[in-house]
Amino acid sequence: MPRQVTEMLKGILEGLVLAILGGGPAYGYEITARLREEGFSDIAEGTIYALLVRVEQRGLVDVEKVPSEKGPPRKVYSLNAQGGEYLEEFWANWGFLSERLESLRAEGRTGPTTAGGM
Amino acid sequence: MSIFEKIIGDFEGKRQYREYKARVKALPEPYRASGAALERYLMNLGAGNDTAMLLAMLDDLVTLLEQGAEARTPIHELLGDDAVDFAETFLANYPQGSWISKERARLNASIAKAVAEGER
Repeated sequence: MPRQVTEMLKGILEGLVLAILGGGPAYGYEITARLREEGFSDIAEGTIYALLVRVEQRGLVDVEKVPSEKGPPRKVYSLNAQGGEYLEEFWANWGFLSERLESLRAEGRTGPTTAGGM
Repeated sequence: MSIFEKIIGDFEGKRQYREYKARVKALPEPYRASGAALERYLMNLGAGNDTAMLLAMLDDLVTLLEQGAEARTPIHELLGDDAVDFAETFLANYPQGSWISKERARLNASIAKAVAEGER
């Protein structure tokens, strides 16, 4: 995954993870695997883990400990009401950003409308 | 005596810290050495005087390494290619009590003060 994508992802990864949890509860590794399936191949498990620690601290997810066959119990995360509100806000902000960027791209294609440019 | 042991004076904190150390020691390589390296970096950068926060951070760290070791996830898949980047992201979750976050708050307050005085 190119460096630019990695940098861009940083700001929106939280929204991505909450969006995945919006589809149903999941544990850490499932979320990483899902993101890799979506083409974000270089995402480190630890990055998602750190992010889940944060959204848990901020009260955006509920956590249930499910016993695993071996090793420590697995934490299963699910989006709660506060997380749902946050996710809605994220999508609204994303809508704004992508619209502005598309409009800038369209402008770039047709050239600046005012003389002088930059 | 490590810096950490000087910071945590209370018995409960010491017990929890010893438990953490034992968990790191029980990790197979390369998770064990990676854990030690991360601890060093996190403590140098973040260690303030909030014992509970530090212990929670170390607990989260060793849990991640244990999970990685159990699933045999390669370190580079676990931490990404840039361990510093991982450590910074990880540390950002524990703002309370870290000296760097106090310095950040101080910088913001100083600038706000300078602006307010400049406007007078």
